[in-house]
Amino acid sequence: MNRAVSRRDFLHWAGAVGGSTAVFRAAVGLGILPVIANARPQLATLAKPKKVLILGAGISGLTSAYELSAKGYDVQILEASFRAGGRNMTVRHGSRIDETGFPQVCNFDDDPDLYFNCGPARIPGHHQALLNYCKELEVELEPFINDNRNAWVQDDLMYGGKPIRAREYLNDSRGFVAELLAKSVKKDDLTGPMTAADWERLREYIRQFGDLDPQFKYIGTSRSGVANLDYVNPEILKKPLSPSELLKSKFMLIMSFGETDDQAAMMMEPVGGMDRVVSGFMRKVGHLVQFESQVQAIKVLNKGVEVTYRRDGAYVKARADYVLNCIPMHLLAGIEHNFPKEYAAGFTEIPRGKLFKIGFQMKERFWEREGIYGGISWTLQDIQQLWYPAHGINRKKGVILGAYTFDQVAGEKFARLAPAERFKLAIAQGEKIHPGYGGYVETGVSVAWHQMNHMLGCAAQWEEPLYKQWFKTLQTPVGNHWLMGDQVSYHPGWQEGAIASAHHALSEIDARERAAVAA
Amino acid sequence: MRTRNLFAVAALLAAGTAGAANEFDHCLLCHGANANGNYGIRAPKLSGMEPWYLTRQLQYFAAGIRGTPAEDIAGHEMGPVGLRAKNEGKLEAAVAFIGKLDSKRPAPTLSGDVAHGKKLYATCVSCHGAKGEGNPTLAAPALAARSDWYLVQQLVNYQKGLRGADERDTYGAPMRAIATTLPDEKAITDVVAYINTLK
Repeated sequence: MNRAVSRRDFLHWAGAVGGSTAVFRAAVGLGILPVIANARPQLATLAKPKKVLILGAGISGLTSAYELSAKGYDVQILEASFRAGGRNMTVRHGSRIDETGFPQVCNFDDDPDLYFNCGPARIPGHHQALLNYCKELEVELEPFINDNRNAWVQDDLMYGGKPIRAREYLNDSRGFVAELLAKSVKKDDLTGPMTAADWERLREYIRQFGDLDPQFKYIGTSRSGVANLDYVNPEILKKPLSPSELLKSKFMLIMSFGETDDQAAMMMEPVGGMDRVVSGFMRKVGHLVQFESQVQAIKVLNKGVEVTYRRDGAYVKARADYVLNCIPMHLLAGIEHNFPKEYAAGFTEIPRGKLFKIGFQMKERFWEREGIYGGISWTLQDIQQLWYPAHGINRKKGVILGAYTFDQVAGEKFARLAPAERFKLAIAQGEKIHPGYGGYVETGVSVAWHQMNHMLGCAAQWEEPLYKQWFKTLQTPVGNHWLMGDQVSYHPGWQEGAIASAHHALSEIDARERAAVAA
Repeated sequence: MRTRNLFAVAALLAAGTAGAANEFDHCLLCHGANANGNYGIRAPKLSGMEPWYLTRQLQYFAAGIRGTPAEDIAGHEMGPVGLRAKNEGKLEAAVAFIGKLDSKRPAPTLSGDVAHGKKLYATCVSCHGAKGEGNPTLAAPALAARSDWYLVQQLVNYQKGLRGADERDTYGAPMRAIATTLPDEKAITDVVAYINTLK
C-alpha cells in the first residue's frame, strides 16, 4: 500500500522545522547571526536546601535531578513506571515492554549487540548538551550510520515496486536535473550582477553537481555505482535510471533526509544501547527516584506545590518548594489540578505523536551480503524504513529495525494489531526490499508509543501556529510549578530538546534563589 | 479545591487493595484521576458508570464487538485493554476498581440550543429516563453527568456504523437506529447540551 507523503510529513521525517525557524537558520548559516547554543546553567549552591519534586524520570527529569542535587537542593523524582528513561528505552534479552493492551517481553538472545532502541537512537554532533553529559557520565559513544548510499529505495509506484539502490536514485535524478539546467541556463538570460564569467562558473557548478560529461550531458556516473566490480577490467558505468520512473516516486520528499541538520553525518550512538545515557544519570541520581508512583493531582500553593500520587493502591501527598513536571501534556489533562484555565487549555491542544517501531532479531546479517553495513533503506509502504545495525558488523546475528512510522495513520494501523499480526504485516512489506526477509526473523518487539503505559504518545506534534499560540504560556511557570520535557521545547522528539527545557527551567529556579539571597 | 474529594477516598482505597494494589492504575492513566475522563486522549469518564454497563463494554471490546473499525481511533486503543482484562481474568475486578473511585460531575465542554435539545430528547426518555438516569432492564445506561464530548462522539459513531453495527451487538442495534434519526451535527450538540442540564 502506498501513501502520499505530505510536506508536513517530510518535515517531521527529517526532524526539521519550517517557517521562521528555517529562515532564522538560513540567517545563521550566512553568518548574519551567531549560533546560540543551549547553555548549561551554573546553579548557585544553596545555603539551606529547597525541596524539589520532579515528576518523571525521563531525560529532562534526570538532567534536573543531576544538576539540582549537586547544588544543595533536596530532590525526589516520582516516576509512574517501573523503569527510568521515559522514551529513552532500549530493549534486550528479557526486557519488559509495558504496552497497555499488549504487554510484551523481549526474547532477543542474551548478547551485547542484540538490543533495540525503541525511542531515540542517534545523536548528531551539535547536540552538545547531551554529548557533554555523555562525556561527564562516561557513556561511551560510537559512530551511527544514518545515511547509506548502498541501502535500498522501494516504492510500488516506481519500477513496479522493485527496489533500487539509494545512490542510483539520488545521483541519476541529480544528473538528469543538472543536464536539464545546463541546457536551459543561457548566457543571455543572466542579467544584473551576473557576468559572463559567472555563467561559466555556474555551468561548471552544474556539471559537478550532476557529474555531467564535457558536453554537459548526463551519461551516468560512478556515484551511482558501477556495473562491474572486478577491478581487473575497465569500469563500466551503469545505465542511468529513467527519470520518468524516478519522478513517479514520493521518495523525492525524503531523499534529503540524510542532509538535514539533525540527520546528517556524523551521527553517534552509545555503545550497548541508548539507555546507557539513562544508566549514566541513574548511577548519580538513581537513589532519588521512586518508581510506580503515578501522579493524580497537582495543587499549586501560595508557597510551593502539593502533589498527590498513587503508590501501592494508596494516595500519598507530598509537598515541595518547586515542582518540575515532565508528565506528557495529554496525560496531565486527565489529572486533577488547580492550574489557571488558560494554561491547562493548552494540554489538549498539542496532538500526541503516534510513532511506531518494530525490531527483529535476524538469524543472519543477510544485508551485509548485499553490501549494506548500517544505514537506512526507505520504502513508501507503512513500515517506511529498515535500519541496519552499525554495531556488531560481521557477527552472525543482528537486530534490524523492521518498521519506523512517522505517519499517524500508519502508526494507528500497526497499533491496533496484536504483536504477531504487526510482525506479519512488517515482514510482508520488508519482503519487497529483501526477498526472503521473513525467513531470517527469529523474534521481534513492537513499540506503539501512543499505547505505551505511562506515555500514551511519542513526541508532541507541535506546528508553527500551535507554537505561536501555546508555547510561551506552557513554558511559563505557574507559581513554583514548571512544565518540562521535550514537549516544552522547539526540538520535540530529541533528547537535546528535553535537556534544553530542563536547563531553561533550572535557570529560572536559580534566578529566584539568587534573588532571594540578594533580598 | 478540586483535590479535596480525592483525599476523602484515599483511606478507603488504601484499606481495600493490598497485594497488586496498583494493577489497575493504568485505567487512571488514560481515563484520568478517579477515571473522571481525559479529553486529551479521548478517554471518557468511567467513574459513576453502572457496573453492568462497564462489564458489557469491556466484554465487547475484548470480543471485538466494539473498537474494531479503523475510524474508531479511541475505541481501537481500548480494544486490546479489554482483551487483556478478560484474558487475565481481571474484568470484574477492573469494574469493581472503577466503582470505588470518586466520581465527579464533569464540566460541560460544549454549548448548544438546550430547548431544541429537550425536544429531541423526547425520543430518548423511554429508555434512558427523563433525568438521564438510565434503565438497566432495558440495558440503557445513564447519560447524565457523563463526558459530553464522549456522548457526541458515540452518537456520531452510531450514525457512522462504528458502533452498534456488529450483529452481536443486540443492545447497540436499536441505539444505532435511533441515533440515525438525529439529522445533523447541530441536533447532536443540542441534545447533548440538554443532557448536560440533567441531574
